[in-house]
Amino acid sequence: MTITLYDYTLSGSCYKVRLLLNFLGLSYDRRQMNFYPGRQHKSPEFLEINPLGQLPALQDGDLILRDAQAILCHLANKYDADGHWLPRDERFGDVMMWVMFAGGELMNSSAARLHDALGYKLDVHAARTNAHAAFRVLEDHMTAREIAGRKWIVGDTPTIADIASFPYIALSGEGGIGHEDYPALRNWMRDFRRLDRFHAMPGVPEFV
Amino acid sequence: MLAMWRGEDGPVRIWEDRCPHRGMRLSFGFVRGDALRCIYHGWSYRTDGQCIEIPAHPELTPPKTICASSYPAESRYGIVWTNLERGGPAPFPDLGPDEGWLPVRSLYVNRPAGQVEAAVESFDFGAPSSIRLKNPSAILLGIGSQMEMLLAIQPVNADRTGLHAVVRGENASAARADLARRMQHLRAEIEAEREKK
Repeated sequence: MTITLYDYTLSGSCYKVRLLLNFLGLSYDRRQMNFYPGRQHKSPEFLEINPLGQLPALQDGDLILRDAQAILCHLANKYDADGHWLPRDERFGDVMMWVMFAGGELMNSSAARLHDALGYKLDVHAARTNAHAAFRVLEDHMTAREIAGRKWIVGDTPTIADIASFPYIALSGEGGIGHEDYPALRNWMRDFRRLDRFHAMPGVPEFV
Repeated sequence: MLAMWRGEDGPVRIWEDRCPHRGMRLSFGFVRGDALRCIYHGWSYRTDGQCIEIPAHPELTPPKTICASSYPAESRYGIVWTNLERGGPAPFPDLGPDEGWLPVRSLYVNRPAGQVEAAVESFDFGAPSSIRLKNPSAILLGIGSQMEMLLAIQPVNADRTGLHAVVRGENASAARADLARRMQHLRAEIEAEREKK
């Protein structure tokens, strides 16, 4: 079975999917899309793949999926038999809650970055304010986790909650959102970057 | 902006967050052994700030003038103290032997330091508390009869303040989670207040 990722190197959402594919050791075809300036994700051909005109999209056999979070769930569900990345026990709901947070509130950080880096017209002040509010929620959570002797968002090992949350926190400086106020997030990001099979993307430091 | 780092030799260093070469933030760099390397061109700085290696010119001994700018740094009670005036030492309070302090948390409040300080003094940390010591950069609270909490107050700018809390005493270890949560309530309370001019 061939997995095809409709990908854009600079997209944090595509990076989430590349991270999990790498962690799972899956090989895949990488279809590089000209997101900027070509707007290939809005082309009639790509709208056949994803009518929402967003990246990433993933084809796995006959199945075509959009939305980074849904793709993470699919890949973990299908290829991670022992449930390391998506536990099927009482942790499941907790993992999904933070996965949704990553696809929801944390996307304010992505919006600020699209504004600053690619000139998108949007209310960047609101985006930054909302991103800081979301970062604070995860910062408080990770502070409590640290005090409890834990490193990851849920449970004792990294899950797709960590993968989904990592890119737009790590990349937030490109949208004018610094990490100064978030010591627990900085510790967590450092641990994440130390994971076996971790790889960086432009804007995410390789060195730990 | 500051870059704080710790080499393998132990002590924390506090430098201006600026590489003397191209002004890149040194806090984006990485530590190897007892040297901090800038992420931009890999220039390497020894613990005293002196540049010791320029990868693009491996044969060159970097001149003495290429030196990172540093501030005093003292680790005491689980908190790192500095003095941005550079002239004087880091102004930490004298709390006797540096023993038994456990971290609670650091947290940032979008309000001026004066307002944060006033709120800390009257906040309910879960047991009757009293101010045992106060200086411009820290407050020591007695909490109940068995615990002491030290809150270092870091004015980040005119309307943002860092609070760094550590605790010691009989049940300090078990109290950390509750104190960290109460600090969130403290932050919410301060930010809900209107700014006092």
